[in-house]
Amino acid sequence: MAKIEDKVDLYDDRGNKLLGDVPLTALSPLRNPAIRKICGMVARLAAVDLAGLEKKLSSGAIAGKQMVIRNKSMDLDIVGKGSEIAARVKDMIEVEAGDETRADLIGGGKRLLVEVPSARILADYSAARTNVCAALTQALIDTFNVDMWKAPDIKAAVWGMYPQDPAMTGTVVATLVDVPISNEGPGYTLRNIPVNHIAATVRKRAMPGACLSMILEESACYEMGDAVGPFERGHLLDFAYEGLNANNMLYTLIKENGQDGTLGDVVYALVEKAKADGVAKPKTKLGSGYTVFGVDDLQMWNAYASTGMLAAVMVNCAAMRAGQPVPSSIMYFNELLEHETGLPGVDYGKAQGASVSSSFFSHSIYGGGGPGVFHGNHIVTRHAKGQFIPCFCAAMCIDADTQYFTPTRTSGLYGEVLGSIPEFAEPMKAVAEGAKEIM
Amino acid sequence: MPQYTPGSSIIGDNRRKFMDPSKKLEKLRDIAEEDIVRMLGHRAPGEAYKSIHPPIEELEEPECSVREMVKPTPGAAAGDRIRYVQFTDSMFFAPATPRIRPMMWFTRYRGVDPGVLSGRTIVEARERDVEAIAKEYMDNETYDTARTGLRGRTVHGHSVRLDQDGVMFDALRRWSRDPNGDIKYVKDMVGGAMDKEVVLGKPLSEDELRKRTTMFRNAQGGVWLEGDDPEVGDVISEIHWNRTWGGFQPFKNRADLPGNKGVGVKGMKLYTPRGGVE
Repeated sequence: MAKIEDKVDLYDDRGNKLLGDVPLTALSPLRNPAIRKICGMVARLAAVDLAGLEKKLSSGAIAGKQMVIRNKSMDLDIVGKGSEIAARVKDMIEVEAGDETRADLIGGGKRLLVEVPSARILADYSAARTNVCAALTQALIDTFNVDMWKAPDIKAAVWGMYPQDPAMTGTVVATLVDVPISNEGPGYTLRNIPVNHIAATVRKRAMPGACLSMILEESACYEMGDAVGPFERGHLLDFAYEGLNANNMLYTLIKENGQDGTLGDVVYALVEKAKADGVAKPKTKLGSGYTVFGVDDLQMWNAYASTGMLAAVMVNCAAMRAGQPVPSSIMYFNELLEHETGLPGVDYGKAQGASVSSSFFSHSIYGGGGPGVFHGNHIVTRHAKGQFIPCFCAAMCIDADTQYFTPTRTSGLYGEVLGSIPEFAEPMKAVAEGAKEIM
Repeated sequence: MPQYTPGSSIIGDNRRKFMDPSKKLEKLRDIAEEDIVRMLGHRAPGEAYKSIHPPIEELEEPECSVREMVKPTPGAAAGDRIRYVQFTDSMFFAPATPRIRPMMWFTRYRGVDPGVLSGRTIVEARERDVEAIAKEYMDNETYDTARTGLRGRTVHGHSVRLDQDGVMFDALRRWSRDPNGDIKYVKDMVGGAMDKEVVLGKPLSEDELRKRTTMFRNAQGGVWLEGDDPEVGDVISEIHWNRTWGGFQPFKNRADLPGNKGVGVKGMKLYTPRGGVE
């Protein structure tokens, strides 16, 4: 591990100090216990739609809505026998008595939440999904005494189109992370989670939402090989200042500009802060009187810029109480910042670049998406590493249901399941507590 | 005090004036609010605002510190629909340019969602906020009646030759020129029928346009960025050099990297003659 000596004070989403003098290294996803728990659970949780499975089998639409074979229908009381099925699944998934395994009925018995023990993941996180699929298939066969002529239909209803489609279209087992073939590239697993799931998990509170989103993005950067050696400090600084409200900068920028400030006001407040802290220094004065600024510590400048960007998104989106301005806010925060100082925008231009294509994809100009279904695992979002997607999550937290894809509509189940786990519900506090354990 | 953007020419001055919210933009005309509503075509004049959610005060908002710190705009507070206004600026010295529009809206308005597309610039916001922006930006000096257009669709005109009387081309003929020189809108923003024509007034003179524009243009008496105001290009090159430095090894000192140390690219040879090539 590279030697990193920076320390920060951590504050919560209301400007209260959580922990002082925290070494940046204690915030590393490789070391912080809370972040490790969050990432581990994201990879190991699976939700089964029991009511949906029952309907699929009774209608014969076993592998998705278009694949109906009417004479293949089966009337099985899956929801009614949910407890028995859950017990069988738990028994098969468990590695050792007392490990993390659980299979709990939720949503009035219509859904089953399964936590796969970490012992089952030897090298590939897909083991969480495959094992739940296989155990569920076997549990159904055992519970309903299904014969060998009908068993393939059970398998198809549970696994969806696998193996014709390795992405398992039509499966009733949902995991937060998608199968590896759906990842944009190596290490993208934790970036493949729509921001609406995260917004629903934190009950649409913008700052914890941005924090949880950034935990996953930055952890993915470690897995992508982007945070290695001397690059690691840059990632940890971005994460601390933008995602964890280090030194209360994020909160202060919003507080000071919230009542009547524009996005531009946040830009210029951030520049003043950077000047006051000695991060940006005058370099050259040009003929018109315009001063070009320079920096001694470019990684620190990027952390300041990232924090300003999230604050600007929050101020502009919250003034509109809408999520849609997030790409344009990112674009013009960076544009105004660069032309105010001569210094580079967030992630050295990559956030601004990604915002251009994101504008297209989030405004129904090219397809029918919306910022709520965005994640970092996409050709139009992936280039800025870590700083970009938290802004989308914050925007969707703030949105007053103006979007077609709202967190309530797309992610109610995830919100219900994950929101009950303290690390997910209060990620800022959890990371601070985790840091305290290892300081 | 922000410096907004570089430039020692009149273009730099104009850009800073547009972007600086402490500077009031000159009002050139006073279009009735009812006529703005008529031209936008989102609602009939006098019709109540439609809403997409109850007023914010009646909503049970989550206990979110950001919501508590940030005041909603009047339109957001009322739960208005999100609507748009879109402008086309002719490259023949319209006062505003597509790029400067979002930069000035973001320094002057809260709760806006602008977007620059090919030759037109849209801003989306809550309906009553959109109407306020449309009113201000059709009344003030950023809008010339002949070189700026209010266009919801069939927007081209920005880079098209002017009509015979110096008016920006409009395929939908939303506007016409009166014999006395006044420009009037006979169709609304998307080319739909209006119950009444709206007179915007006379265009600015060519000299006046060149004094007010925020556009560099090495042709027809415009200000040439590379030749007349190299400071602007120098700052852009500085930004790009810094981006390259960050993309390579941001943990190093810039002075230790081979290549550019100062601001701008020295000794750049300009191949285009003054006045451009037509």
